[in-house]
Amino acid sequence: MGFLVTTLIFFLVGVVAALFVRLCCNGGPSTNLFHFTLVVTAVVCCWMMWAIVYLAQLKPLIVPVLSEGE
Amino acid sequence: MGDYHSHGGGRGHGCCPTMDLMRSEPMQLVQIIIPIESAHLTVSYLGDLGLLQFKDLNADKSPFQRTYANQIKRCGEMARKLRFFGEQMTKADISPSAMPVTRTHIDLDDLEVKLGELEAELIEVNSNGEKLQRTFNELLEYKLVLQKAGEFFYSAQGHATAQQREIEAHQVGDGSLDSPLLLEQEMLADPSKQVKLGFVSGLVPKEKAMAFERILFRATRGNMFLKQVAIDDPVTDPVSGEKVGKNVFVVFYSGERAKTKILKICEAFGANRYPFTEDVGKQMQMIDEVSWKISELKTTIDVGLIHRDSILKNIGYQFEQWNHLVRREKSIYHTLNMLSLDVTKKCLVAEGWSPVFATSQVQDALQRATYDSNSQVGSIFQVLHTNESPPTYFQTNKFTSAFQEIVDAYGVAKYQEANPGVYTIITFPFLFAVMFGDWGHGICLLLTTLYFIIREKKLSSQKLGDIMEMTFGGRYVIMMMAIFSIYTGLIYNEFFSVPFELFGKSAYACRDSSCRDATTEGLIKVRPAYPFGVDPKWHGTRSELPFLNSLKMKMSILLGVAQMNLGIVLSYFNAKFFRNNLNIWYQFVPQLIFLNSLFGYLSLLIIVKWCTGSKADLYHVMIYMFLSPTDDLGENQLFPGQKTLQLVLLLLALISVPWMLFPKPILLKKQHQERHQGQSYTMLQSTEEMLELDHGHSSHGHGNEEFEFSEVFVHQLIHTIEFVLGAVSNTASYLRLWALSLAHSELSSVFYEKVLLLAWGFNNIIILIIGFIVFIFATVGVLLVMETLSAFLHALRLHWVEFQNKFYEGDGYKFSPFSFALLAEDED
Repeated sequence: MGFLVTTLIFFLVGVVAALFVRLCCNGGPSTNLFHFTLVVTAVVCCWMMWAIVYLAQLKPLIVPVLSEGE
Repeated sequence: MGDYHSHGGGRGHGCCPTMDLMRSEPMQLVQIIIPIESAHLTVSYLGDLGLLQFKDLNADKSPFQRTYANQIKRCGEMARKLRFFGEQMTKADISPSAMPVTRTHIDLDDLEVKLGELEAELIEVNSNGEKLQRTFNELLEYKLVLQKAGEFFYSAQGHATAQQREIEAHQVGDGSLDSPLLLEQEMLADPSKQVKLGFVSGLVPKEKAMAFERILFRATRGNMFLKQVAIDDPVTDPVSGEKVGKNVFVVFYSGERAKTKILKICEAFGANRYPFTEDVGKQMQMIDEVSWKISELKTTIDVGLIHRDSILKNIGYQFEQWNHLVRREKSIYHTLNMLSLDVTKKCLVAEGWSPVFATSQVQDALQRATYDSNSQVGSIFQVLHTNESPPTYFQTNKFTSAFQEIVDAYGVAKYQEANPGVYTIITFPFLFAVMFGDWGHGICLLLTTLYFIIREKKLSSQKLGDIMEMTFGGRYVIMMMAIFSIYTGLIYNEFFSVPFELFGKSAYACRDSSCRDATTEGLIKVRPAYPFGVDPKWHGTRSELPFLNSLKMKMSILLGVAQMNLGIVLSYFNAKFFRNNLNIWYQFVPQLIFLNSLFGYLSLLIIVKWCTGSKADLYHVMIYMFLSPTDDLGENQLFPGQKTLQLVLLLLALISVPWMLFPKPILLKKQHQERHQGQSYTMLQSTEEMLELDHGHSSHGHGNEEFEFSEVFVHQLIHTIEFVLGAVSNTASYLRLWALSLAHSELSSVFYEKVLLLAWGFNNIIILIIGFIVFIFATVGVLLVMETLSAFLHALRLHWVEFQNKFYEGDGYKFSPFSFALLAEDED
């Protein structure tokens, strides 16, 4: 699963979550915008965390060196 | 229709669509003129509504000068009576029952009368009870005296008589020369006088018994005989009501003088005297009589207590309701005191802040009050224009209120500035989770907080301790923290520090099938990178820490730069909202350029290094970008054109500093001069006109600011220095995300390996159980409680300082409306 595919998956999850929140708790345009902001912030935070950890392991400079007794 | 109020350089909105909670609700200053007859009811209905913050229009008056001081005194008296009832109820162990009472409307005057009656009745019952109790105790003591004294009386009397005869014989012998006439006369008068002894009987406290005896001896010169018998059980003293150990005593004396002395001594020692008859028959009769009186009194006392308890129970049914009513009335009168009395003394004028959306609700309440109080005239509601800064009001629900409180704890938002609470709802739990990352611990936290949330209806009406109250109040915050912790735990691949291969096979494997050099050279990467999170093969290896440290440090920098950029962008939205173009061009833009040309560039380098796998040393790159920017990069080159890019970025950063510093004060000065351009012409005319215009000028309001250029410049200088130095220090401050995450994973791994695995290794069931218990306690105490608090605190600091100092002013004041619901919370 490449970087772009997983990014696309995060994006789709975000879209689904936004739609879900809109359907279940609809409360006027300003409330909808507020919920949308929350969903987008959450998805962006989670994606950043995943992307950072993924990119760091793409081309690593050091490899695991097992300790004695493993 | 709502009205927005101008303040300073004009306010507006409409740059972007409105979002809940982003900016304070628009507030307006309203003035309400209320006729006196409907004043009380109006304030009561407005208190029910809870959307109006009254201004104190009588601030210069002392509490005694205010209109409704008497009413408040009455309410105070009633509150005192209710407190008295409360104390009596606790003494009698009766708790106010929460019986669902019918919502009958109770008039305050009726209540006052009733409370007075009840208080008088209760006081009377209490004092009667006390009197009866004292008599009862006295009778008990009398009975004891009768019983005990009867035992030793005759022997004591015999002794006393013998002693007296001796003493008299001595006296006759000694005093023959002195005043013989008198003695002879006495002897002659009663030669065959029987030795007449008087006696006093009663009870004396045990501890004073010795002193009692001594003083009696000295006072009567040994001319007395005392016999004491101790009583085994403590006796309730009638005067003090406490149980005291006492002795029954009988004192035999002769002569009137001795008698008065003995009586006085008894009084001084608190010895209670009781009459005693020498006649045996009469003694039995007395004992029977006393016993009968005792039983009668007992029933009387019991009946009295039952009566009192029934009074208290009746009070108890309505206690809460009465308390509530008195508090309510007191607050209404306090509010009425804040209103100013009109000149005609026929109506009250109220001023207050109220949200614009509540206008129709307030007007509706006023109408209802006019109707319900049968007033001829309705209240007048009008909106005032003012330059005062309104209070800040956010409409929060039970989920968002906890996050808003976290933001407010640092500083309440200025009226209508961007509220960091919107983003804090997500970023605060997220940053917590970056420092806490373990999905096992996250699940524990989630279960705990779900318990609170599921039982929240029941728990919110109970009274919890301080710590539980705080935890309960923050249950939604903790829930978000737990959910994000599960996510970051999956990314860090730690379940109580144990990694799992949940998302596919690990990317690393031995070089060859024998794994000879796994402990020296290490494994090699045979598959594409592990798709989600940290590769499970890293845990426990020797190179785990260097790898994870590098990863987490870089992650902290990336997250930190992202959050700081968000802060700067919010400052742009603030400037746009308040139509402050100066702030956009001469603060937002240079700040953005400065931060991103240095730390944004560093973030870019990090990502490029990861993507290309280059061995470039980023410390070296950044430092030499400043020290010798024109030097060749050599092996630290990550992409072509890097040197030119670095030069350009360095230049941008350098010019952005004076760009932040100089233009804004100069332009502010120019603006100020333009505003008062007209003034400078009129000042050439006569002084009277100038004074007139001065008055007119000050009444305009916003032209009243003085402009001190040096002050504004210094302010901008401080702001610039803070930003420039803060850019470095704040970015470094985000490294605490790495530090705490490392501490957490190390602690977790130590507890797992050195406690659980060690206990497992012994192959003994008892040691395993002990080890497991120690592991549970250590995990809960250190990791779930201490680490949670620690990560909570640091995430809070990152928000309050590093995020909010990019855009937040936080010098507003909170909207605190007159509301009965809030009153109840305050009292509890």
